[in-house]
Amino acid sequence: MLALWLRLDDALQNFWRGLRQWSGDSAYETYLACAERQRAKKPLSATEFYVEQLNRKYSRPNRCC
Amino acid sequence: MKRLLQIPIWTTVAVLDAVALGTIAFHRGEPINATWFVLAAACSYLVAYRLYSAFIAAKLLALDNSRATPAERRDDGRDFVPTNKWVLFGHHFAAIAGPGPLVGPTLAAQFGYLPGTLWLIAGAAFAGCVQDFVILFCSIRRDGKTLGEMARDEVSKRGGLIAQLAVLTIMIILLAVVALVVVNALKSSPWATFTLAMTIPIALLLGVYLRYFRPGRVLEASFIGVALVLFVVVAGQWVADSPYLAKLFTLSGVTLAFVIIAYGFAASALPVWLLLAPRDYLSAFIKAGAIFSLAAGILLVRPQVLMPPLTRFVDGSGPVFAGKIFPFCFITIACGAISGFHSLISSGTTPKMIQREGHARFIGYGAMLLESFVGVMAMVAACAMTPGVYFAINSPASIVGATPEAAAATISSWGYPLSAGTMTGLAHAVGEQTLLNRAGGAPSLAVGMAQIFSSTIGGERLLSIWYHFAIMFEALFILTVLDAGTRVGRFMIQELGGRVWKPMGRMNWMPGILLSSALIVGAWGYFLYQGVVDPLGGINSLWPLFGISNQLLAAVALVVATTILLKMGRLKWIWVTLLPMAWLVIITMTASYQKIFSPNARIGFLSQANALAAQIAAGKIAAAKIADTHRNIFNLRLDAVVTAVLAAMILVLLVEALAQWYAILTRDRAPVLQETPYVATQWAEGD
Repeated sequence: MLALWLRLDDALQNFWRGLRQWSGDSAYETYLACAERQRAKKPLSATEFYVEQLNRKYSRPNRCC
Repeated sequence: MKRLLQIPIWTTVAVLDAVALGTIAFHRGEPINATWFVLAAACSYLVAYRLYSAFIAAKLLALDNSRATPAERRDDGRDFVPTNKWVLFGHHFAAIAGPGPLVGPTLAAQFGYLPGTLWLIAGAAFAGCVQDFVILFCSIRRDGKTLGEMARDEVSKRGGLIAQLAVLTIMIILLAVVALVVVNALKSSPWATFTLAMTIPIALLLGVYLRYFRPGRVLEASFIGVALVLFVVVAGQWVADSPYLAKLFTLSGVTLAFVIIAYGFAASALPVWLLLAPRDYLSAFIKAGAIFSLAAGILLVRPQVLMPPLTRFVDGSGPVFAGKIFPFCFITIACGAISGFHSLISSGTTPKMIQREGHARFIGYGAMLLESFVGVMAMVAACAMTPGVYFAINSPASIVGATPEAAAATISSWGYPLSAGTMTGLAHAVGEQTLLNRAGGAPSLAVGMAQIFSSTIGGERLLSIWYHFAIMFEALFILTVLDAGTRVGRFMIQELGGRVWKPMGRMNWMPGILLSSALIVGAWGYFLYQGVVDPLGGINSLWPLFGISNQLLAAVALVVATTILLKMGRLKWIWVTLLPMAWLVIITMTASYQKIFSPNARIGFLSQANALAAQIAAGKIAAAKIADTHRNIFNLRLDAVVTAVLAAMILVLLVEALAQWYAILTRDRAPVLQETPYVATQWAEGD
């Protein structure tokens, strides 16, 4: 029973992580982790990153007919 | 042992597929259950994925998981982000699935359910998925380059320019036609207009929330937004019931067209975080929810498909749009079978996020199969309603008449029984004044969806809520395509303009932003207005033009893919991209020729223009309508010119590519492949 519960918990966590990634909710965390790995001196703030990311995303075809 | 088990499993799937396809193809007389469509589509997709995509991955592309992808080599946490394959599948699917796979099959249902369903399934397996998969692969091997850049590098400089111009032209036609679908769904409908109008302040609210209060917290903002949108769907009923508010939100087609044009301009020129992005978040969640609900509804309700397999309109005399099955069924259903626009997504964000080359099969080929399935569900929803009702909703007034009595008499005379009371009763049940003459596919799909949903939850009582939910869902994500497309079109104009006059190329120069926004909005707005005032309903001329342009872009993508594969020395398997390319060239050239030169005035732009000119000359047009008729003649000739220009573009590109292929095959020129050099992955197998 415990094993089943742990598996369910694991699956739900994976789903939540996937949903956050898919929707862009965790994009800033991903960026910060990358900036840390690359030892960036002054990473963008959450607001700066959000606006910059949107400007890039909507300057090229990103939605189909 | 595992391999031994696979043989009986896949044999069973293949047999089931053959039985289901045979049943929908040869069934005659009584209505057929929708379960057969789901079974035929699902089994075909499984077989295609298991066999054909595996063959392409192994033999044609030789996907190499030991090769580092752009996401690994250039990981920057912004554009290049290694992403889990399931998450990227969701991303890619959300990007490629627009209104096309819903509207196209609904319109093509006028031929009966069979031609469209078979084209959706076979077209996706042998053409659409192949295009998406191969272009994704090519772009991964080139650091995520766009289709235009690959055309320039691998075919010729002129090829690159043609691809860029083709994309811009297609964008203009696409935006006009999707806007027309929204206009036809909203005109004279206060409930639907109010609901959609309210999504704008909701999006502005979310925009401010995400920019100033909780930057980037997309999920919580989207949940709030979706709840508010669902509330305004219900609130729309109160607006429709209030005499004052109902009058305020009852807009004519022309007024709606100008409102949408103004909206497009605002969305293009305003900061992206304020309006465009939050609407996109809302749309993504509602789209995913509605598509899953439709699938679940069809599986639970298992409706009967009342449309015959083939209607009398296979002869080309259809009321929704004119033209025979060949080539017009293949033009009308673009997205869902093959859509050139997907090649822009496959060479856009997705290749920069893929973790392994091997994932390209699941994401490129698999996501397109799912989109095709959406198309089959739309076909089922459209065909599950009485054929008479379907034709009454989708036919223009100039063909069936503007009153329920006239429409019922005309449609019944075609052999599809319909009473005037049925149409008035249905309009009343869904909370509308009328459902007649709403060509564009959205309202008939909404009726089909509402009937399926209400059979599951709420019954007749909730039919009107479900109908307006479906209209809101379609209109919301059509407008998302519209505003995102307008903005991208603005960038393209600025980029092209920058080559002529440098300041235009500066993306943050306000006069440049305003001028390019006005140009792109003016271009699609012109075609939209033309469609709204067209006596034949607009869809008759604009949707085939959109289909032709979209399929031409697919042909461009497959020309680029074939050239790259030839340079890679994959001559033995080149038919995989060459055959769909040839098919697309044949259907688009035939359709272009017919749309320009057909002597049938309902098909040929020029013959219709000449017929109108002859009527003016013979004094058969009332003096008050002469100016309108002259404008109509000009528009028809303009449509003919646009079609000819599109066809000429692909022919020039094809000649350029043929010269390249000849040089490669005769070894006149050593093939120069612009691939990024091989770098071994640093990730372990399971990463």
